[in-house]
Amino acid sequence: MGLRRCCCMLAIVLAYGLWLVPPETALAQQGKPAVAGSLPSTNLSNDVSTDPSLPRPAPGFANARVAGNPLAPEAKSVGMKTCIACHQLEADHFTHTLHALGLIAANKADPAIPVCEACHGPGSEHAKNPQAKGLIIAYTKDGGTPIDVQTRTCLTCHAGGPRDHWLGSVHQRNGLSCSDCHNPMAKFSVEGSMAKQSINDTCAQCHKDIRLQFNRRSHMPLPEGQMSCDDCHNPHGSLSSGSSLTSFPLAKTNTVNETCYQCHAEKRGPFLFEHAPVRESCLNCHTPHGSNQNTLLVAPVPFLCQQCHTQQRHPNDLQTANSLMTGKNPDERIMGRGCLTCHANIHGSNAPAGPRFHE
Amino acid sequence: MNLLPNFMRLPAAMLLVLVCTQGVAANYVDLRRIEPVHGDAAAGASRAVVCVACHGPNGNAVVPTFPKLAGQRADYIYHRLVEYRNADPNAPYYVASPMPAQAQTLSDVDMRNLAAYFAAQTPTASPTITETGDEQGATLYSNGDPAKGVPPCQGCHGADANGPIITASRYLAYPMLRGQHAAYLVSRLNGYRDKQAHDSTNDFIMRGVAHMLDDGSIHAVAVWLDSLPVVDKH
Amino acid sequence: MTRSLIRFLPLACVLCAASAHADTGIGVDTWRADKLDPTGGMASQACDADGTSWLAPLQRRSPTGNLYNCAPESPRTYELGDWIYYGLIEGGYLGASGDRVALWNRYADWRRNNLVLGLLQVNLERPSDGSYVDVRASRISADDQLYQSVFGRAGAYKVQAFVRDMPNILSTDAKSIWNGVGTNNLTLPASLVPGASTPAQVAAVSAGAPLTTLGVKRSKQGLGVSTYLTPEWTAYVNLSDEERKGTRPYGGPFFFAFAFEGPPFFMQDGGVNETIKPIRDSTININGGLRYAGSQWRFDFSYSGSFYRDKYTAYDYQSPFKLSPLPVIPGAISAPLYQGQMSMEPDNDYHNLQATATRKIAWNGEISFSAAGGRMSQNDSLIPPINCQGVFGIGIGNLQVGPQNPLLYDCSKWNTTDALSQKTADMRIDTTMLDARIRLNPVSQLSLRGSVKFDRQDYRNVYLLYNPLTGQYGYPSENGTQGSIVPGEAGIFDPLTSPSALTRVRSLPLDIQTIDANAGADWRFSEKNTLGATFDFNRYEPTNRERTQIDASSFKLTWVNRSIDWLTLRVNYTYLNQTGNTYNFDPYDFTFSSSLPGYVPPAAGTPSHTVDAMRKYDMSSRDENKIDVMATFMPRDDMTLSASVRGDWNSYDAQIGRQAYDTAGATLQWDWQIAVQSTLGAYIAWDRSRLGLSNVQDQQNGAGVDPALGGANYALIGQWWANDAQRDWYAGLTFNHKFDRVRFDLNWNYLYSRGLTDYSYAGPTALAHLVGNEGPGPGNGAFPSMVYRVNSITAGVTVPVNERVALRLFDYYERGRINDWHYAGFGQGLVAGNRVYTDAGPQGYNANLIGLFVNVKL
Repeated sequence: MGLRRCCCMLAIVLAYGLWLVPPETALAQQGKPAVAGSLPSTNLSNDVSTDPSLPRPAPGFANARVAGNPLAPEAKSVGMKTCIACHQLEADHFTHTLHALGLIAANKADPAIPVCEACHGPGSEHAKNPQAKGLIIAYTKDGGTPIDVQTRTCLTCHAGGPRDHWLGSVHQRNGLSCSDCHNPMAKFSVEGSMAKQSINDTCAQCHKDIRLQFNRRSHMPLPEGQMSCDDCHNPHGSLSSGSSLTSFPLAKTNTVNETCYQCHAEKRGPFLFEHAPVRESCLNCHTPHGSNQNTLLVAPVPFLCQQCHTQQRHPNDLQTANSLMTGKNPDERIMGRGCLTCHANIHGSNAPAGPRFHE
Repeated sequence: MNLLPNFMRLPAAMLLVLVCTQGVAANYVDLRRIEPVHGDAAAGASRAVVCVACHGPNGNAVVPTFPKLAGQRADYIYHRLVEYRNADPNAPYYVASPMPAQAQTLSDVDMRNLAAYFAAQTPTASPTITETGDEQGATLYSNGDPAKGVPPCQGCHGADANGPIITASRYLAYPMLRGQHAAYLVSRLNGYRDKQAHDSTNDFIMRGVAHMLDDGSIHAVAVWLDSLPVVDKH
Repeated sequence: MTRSLIRFLPLACVLCAASAHADTGIGVDTWRADKLDPTGGMASQACDADGTSWLAPLQRRSPTGNLYNCAPESPRTYELGDWIYYGLIEGGYLGASGDRVALWNRYADWRRNNLVLGLLQVNLERPSDGSYVDVRASRISADDQLYQSVFGRAGAYKVQAFVRDMPNILSTDAKSIWNGVGTNNLTLPASLVPGASTPAQVAAVSAGAPLTTLGVKRSKQGLGVSTYLTPEWTAYVNLSDEERKGTRPYGGPFFFAFAFEGPPFFMQDGGVNETIKPIRDSTININGGLRYAGSQWRFDFSYSGSFYRDKYTAYDYQSPFKLSPLPVIPGAISAPLYQGQMSMEPDNDYHNLQATATRKIAWNGEISFSAAGGRMSQNDSLIPPINCQGVFGIGIGNLQVGPQNPLLYDCSKWNTTDALSQKTADMRIDTTMLDARIRLNPVSQLSLRGSVKFDRQDYRNVYLLYNPLTGQYGYPSENGTQGSIVPGEAGIFDPLTSPSALTRVRSLPLDIQTIDANAGADWRFSEKNTLGATFDFNRYEPTNRERTQIDASSFKLTWVNRSIDWLTLRVNYTYLNQTGNTYNFDPYDFTFSSSLPGYVPPAAGTPSHTVDAMRKYDMSSRDENKIDVMATFMPRDDMTLSASVRGDWNSYDAQIGRQAYDTAGATLQWDWQIAVQSTLGAYIAWDRSRLGLSNVQDQQNGAGVDPALGGANYALIGQWWANDAQRDWYAGLTFNHKFDRVRFDLNWNYLYSRGLTDYSYAGPTALAHLVGNEGPGPGNGAFPSMVYRVNSITAGVTVPVNERVALRLFDYYERGRINDWHYAGFGQGLVAGNRVYTDAGPQGYNANLIGLFVNVKL
């Protein structure tokens, strides 16, 4: 498309945008201070008198109650409205999150369901003395709430499923809290209530070294936003110990290969002729995050292959730069795809004449 | 003439745009990260001659619509003066107040000195107390009213209403309320409730709180605070 | 066209538009975005100028100590009945200039100047019951786009759908001598005679061929539903269909070229063809399950299925090169072969069922049992062993099949599926997994844990390389060419005519069983200090491998320290020892003709499979030491400094094979939240890896029977060592600042990778080729360094025009340099002797992308 045409289109879009403004007052923005005023009050006496015209609370929130805070045993619930009196900006940012949407609707349908205090515990002592640490369940570095109280509170509603094996997981053992990765207080990410702008940015807070490997020559399409760490790893814990030849840490499936097959289903086979290390673990030859070699290989071909292949005749020769196209003896065993020029179906061959992956 | 390599041209143009659009900051005083205010109380005393006309000798105002300044936190006084200086004198909240004009006559050093001066004075009990505080005011101050969404005042203004314990700079400008004139407190809380006060980040906190208060509650807590015996902190 | 419309059906089902299925427990598709904004829409989000809270400055820190991001500005919302909605649309012009090579366009289609839809985001919410609809879309080109939609009710149900296209450009400097690229039939142009062209003729065609882009586009569409059945029970189903379409460089063996070019033959023979594989396949993935989370019990039942279908079973290609027999038999003539074939991956099915039950027990504990059973199977039609016409092999004097020509084979006896022992593959692997684990917290300072996991892969069925038409075993090697060049190496065992031929006669089943047990404890010895220890024992039992039992024991120590206000420190150290039972260097004999009745060893004996000192690195005994230190420093309220150091040292007990693999790295990252709308960040990092291996050249022309290292065949004079060292240096800078109304962003990333492979050898006989200046004794040398260096800089400004409209202007400049010695000299021509290459290798580039976008809030 010509540049001129593009500019024209751009001008039209711009003109449209300008024409849109100012918005009608009927569509006026809900100002920040108005948020608090529009909220229902919390029924603290628990004499539930539900408005029959309202929908029943969603099942996911129906059992939500004020979280227990062991550091404030005397505290009583004060209700969202009281919280918001001071925490107006927080409430404003919270409004369009999934937690807010669900909890506020559930609270309207059943006033016994708290909003803020479902996660932060009863607020009365905190309101009286907000500077004292621990009186409210805080999910921050210096909020005074122990990590296990934080995670236990989240798991009250989020137990099971992907988080079934949180206890004992490497992240749990290293003292991570849910809020190291998640921040449900505002829309910091388009999905997943992440603490950073994406899953990948969130993981990179601690695993910057791994994130940087994705900048290498060959890599999974993670910097391009096409996948996330969670496609392969379950950061909440998994059955994988990571110490066996067929597993890796926080694996989402039972083996390395099952994880890879999710996107590379063609490699699943099983093939007529199998290559033993391939069937065992893709990680025998590939490094998962990024490599200076082509196709995420651990080492340059042919040396990668020559770690195992000492068979007689051609596999065990020492190749040198003399065997490159620019050398005196160009040799297909090292040029271009190297070994794979002939042993092309290296992941397994389904050809009856393919025991050596030639066909 | 091609002075810049191609790929540098756009960033250079962007930089130019930036330089041209440098501008002003937010239109309220951000009290969330401030330095403690220090001033010369003696120098402040000489500047306070005008102030005492309304705020009373030593800042112990006699007229109940004028706030007492004696013993108030210097940080609060200073930043309140800054807010006055920044204020639009024609705004409804300020149109009847002499303070925006007064503040224009003060230098920053003057404000600090005045703040130090009034903070160093000893508050006295209001001579004009006509009502004694009742239980409702005390309860509101200490426990708030969760059913109405009112948080307890003591969280920010201290259990004894002498202001909070300073554990971080953001608490510096939270004022002492103990013994303050009820009439002044009522008018200030009404100002918050009517959303007319928007001079500092702390005003926004108080707007949210006052939004939950009805006339009765405002009256009750103001009278109760006024009735508290002042404490000489010095 | 129809297909592309059908793709949008799931979307249409979900209110014609899209967010994603994100389950960290099962499946993929957890994220969808593009390179323009990998965050999927957050890049254009401005921070709320008022900050996060009226009560506190800047942002709070996560428990580890990282500063949270600034809170995004709340959207302007509008009412629509009892719904509210908000959204934005960002569209504009992307202007690309510079070198549009594969490395620059990997996974992003930035090749053309284009009007693009940067982002369309529409959100609807119904506060009365918590219902919502989210739509998100971005379109860079027809190859690089995504559309997704989610609707649901918070805490009740969620329905989501997406359509996504992702490019993967592999080469932009390919030249094909074949016609039919992208199909399953590659034919030579009229100017080349199949099987009878000279390298010069092939080179001329290659040089004249147009530049071709090779790459694969993935087009995926998915639909997911998850719902609460009761407050405790939830159910979900996810379905996706992915199509891959494109081409990639591949192989095409017509036997060695290198073996004949030097002494003693000095001839052009064999054929090395880098062909182009067509990619035309689709995969359907399904998963679904039921989950229960009650106060005492938890259950998780899930099913995963995957179904892979390839349009092609195989592709055919023509080799241009002429074959000649080794001049060892007078009057020998090579069969004029030129037709090659390459099998594609077979269609396959996968099913997996898994169930987990967890119960809370005493001591604040949990006990959990899981079981899974799965099956991967394929029963694809098999292709014939060869696709030649006429004969293959060597004729003496003529090419007439008959007893007078024992080295010549009739294609018609092999180019049909009647020549197979079975017509379909019928291969299957059954998997079983059982797991039990327990966690206890007898006191709050102490937690104990233990688990046992059992995994098994049962390989079902075996394929026999037997030709019922001829009664022979084996297969025509390398499209029949090996036996057409080297007498007696057709790859076919016949108890009468070639009883000493050593060839593969059966497939290799690879059953695997793993038992993993571990126990550990974590002890919080002070309020903010935790020490953990884990012992893990792993027994790995493969069949038909060099070892049938491999035991790995590891001990891991963890220390987490938060006792200092400004520091969070995590230290992990692991020691692992792997050992196993007797190492059998040749467990594969049963798959060769030497295991058949009627096999007659050659006079000198059957050549050994490999050297006895070889230890394959997965099977080898090894010691591993691994350390990982992560520290988060908080020098000031508004600053974070994150540092990590890691090292992993592996020492292998191998005279021949991998001997060492060490990696180490360090990163330092600094983040400064200057003000609410102003951040500065920088990082530097370094890592290295070193892989050391040894191998040994055989001395007896492939006929050696002695497998011993130091013996006659694997003499020590032939031993050699190689060392591959990789280094990476990284640096970067990000700066975001709002000057009054204008937002400015700057981003710089730098990477310098350098790999050096060097080698040494005991004697010149280790070398593949002698240049002539080698001495009689040891020597050494190195390859040119393998370098990848990328510098990229993005600078952008976002200027608001009014409350709803903003203009964004950015420039992204990137410079990439690459040197991969595998492709040295490919720029001068892709033909060398009887070899023709298609991909000229990765290219460096200078590329620039200018973007001018209009961002309109709805």
